[in-house]
Amino acid sequence: MSSLPVIALESVSKRYGSRTVIHDLSFTVEKGEIVGFLGPNGAGKTTTMRMIAGFTTATSGRVTVAGYDMATQNAEAARQIGYLPERPPLYDTLDVSAYLRFVAKVKRVPPSAISAELDRVTAACGLAGVFRREIYKLSKGYRQRVGLAQALLGTPEVLLLDEPTIGLDPAQIQETRDVIRAIGEAHAVLFSTHILSEVTLICRRVAIISHGRLLAIDSPTGLQRAVEQTNRVTLQVIAPAQALREELLSVAGVRAVEIDAVPGERRMLSVDCQVDEREGVEAAIARAVANRWELRRLERQQPTLENIFLRYVSAAPAGSTAA
Amino acid sequence: MSGTLAVYQKEIATYFRSPIAYFVIAVFMMGTGYFFTYNIFLTGDATMGETLRNMGVLLLLVIPVVSMRLFSAEDSTGTMELLLTLPLTPWQVVLGKYLGAVTILLLMTAATLIDLVPLYLFGNPETTTILSGYIGFVLLGMACLAVGQFFSALTQNQIVAALITVPVLLGFWFIGHLQSFQTSYALRGLLGYLSFSLHFGAFIQGLLRTEAVTFYLAVSAIALTLNASYLQWRR
Repeated sequence: MSSLPVIALESVSKRYGSRTVIHDLSFTVEKGEIVGFLGPNGAGKTTTMRMIAGFTTATSGRVTVAGYDMATQNAEAARQIGYLPERPPLYDTLDVSAYLRFVAKVKRVPPSAISAELDRVTAACGLAGVFRREIYKLSKGYRQRVGLAQALLGTPEVLLLDEPTIGLDPAQIQETRDVIRAIGEAHAVLFSTHILSEVTLICRRVAIISHGRLLAIDSPTGLQRAVEQTNRVTLQVIAPAQALREELLSVAGVRAVEIDAVPGERRMLSVDCQVDEREGVEAAIARAVANRWELRRLERQQPTLENIFLRYVSAAPAGSTAA
Repeated sequence: MSGTLAVYQKEIATYFRSPIAYFVIAVFMMGTGYFFTYNIFLTGDATMGETLRNMGVLLLLVIPVVSMRLFSAEDSTGTMELLLTLPLTPWQVVLGKYLGAVTILLLMTAATLIDLVPLYLFGNPETTTILSGYIGFVLLGMACLAVGQFFSALTQNQIVAALITVPVLLGFWFIGHLQSFQTSYALRGLLGYLSFSLHFGAFIQGLLRTEAVTFYLAVSAIALTLNASYLQWRR
């Protein structure tokens, strides 16, 4: 059973009328794997989640979950899916226990096991204190957690979480991540987020999507390595801008230079150099600058996930050029 | 079946944890009480005939209040996403909701039975006629609910759902009146057959006709089928 793709998308596209929102998307999520789904707003994350959850169907291509084709066998697949949509789907007038009981029944949790199952998810999501409270009285954080608890009911094989930590306070975010990590050990988890650090913390792999296209899918370190080929050196110098630019561009290995004033510091410049991988570029820059002006700081920038993400996303074509 | 039952129980819980059920039942009782008193003192006859006819019209206005939220509210609060991704078929969702609404209809109907107490105390009404009238009333209500529920699925906005349902139901109610303007025998027949009020009139007179029973059940079945197909299609 292990390492079989539990979620598989095979060149999936989704069109609404003439507008294509997902282009030829393919990726898999395996059992015991947590995959982070990254993308700017409107990239198609929610649409992709909805197709996997069976709320909408793909226009072309195939989505399979736990071996079931979502186009034809979504009723069977639904039992294997726990889904937390972007907006927690809650019935405001019900209390938490009645709501969770409803979902448990629909998910065919045996009647004798329902109470134990409710206890389990209530504990996992820290809902014991509000178990009997009507949902409309709950804060945003609690609503989010009720939504998560609902997704966990019936221990589904696949967990789809659309921005699960949005609206939570730092302590709750921590708890939610722990819950996701624990589930990820035995299940397949796909969760979308725009908190990049979250991805490095809990995901084995990251999928970056923009304008409905998959730009990259790899481990966070793998992505880092791919971007590292172009390195950056930043420095702060007190120097005349034009002369500094000429000096820096004359150093072997420096490809491009960007100079900005440092706000609040007179005559201080902040410089961003694109350099190639040559050994000792930093040293050469340091020598060239320190000889003539006052060098305050020099630093080699490791690409952060932010950089990686921005690089991929800004490199993607803007218009939806239909495939 | 268990899915339908779970949806049904959820619906009932929603009705009684919000003011909708209480409000609808109370308003309907008040309306019916008014018509009953009015008709009894006006005619002096110990019958429910005229009152049931008035209840039918009142029903056309009350049903949209019950039906408008059935799917529109699910759509606007985002719970539709839950219902359609849980292991439920569209039919289970449609039936569970419909049976919940029918339960409210039955409670509404049962509440009006209080009017029968003075009728039987001070008069000698025909039990079979009253019974057939009530059967017709429930069947009419079921057809109206199914139509209203279908329109509720078409929009996210409850008010829009109600604004479509009311004229459609009134149209079905009054369509029989167009008969007198028609010369074609077939067209007259068709208009009569489609009329909610003509079929209901037969029930009130104590005629329990298969044709009328089938008509209301068919309207319900068609509306519910459209409803389920629409849910399937929108995926």
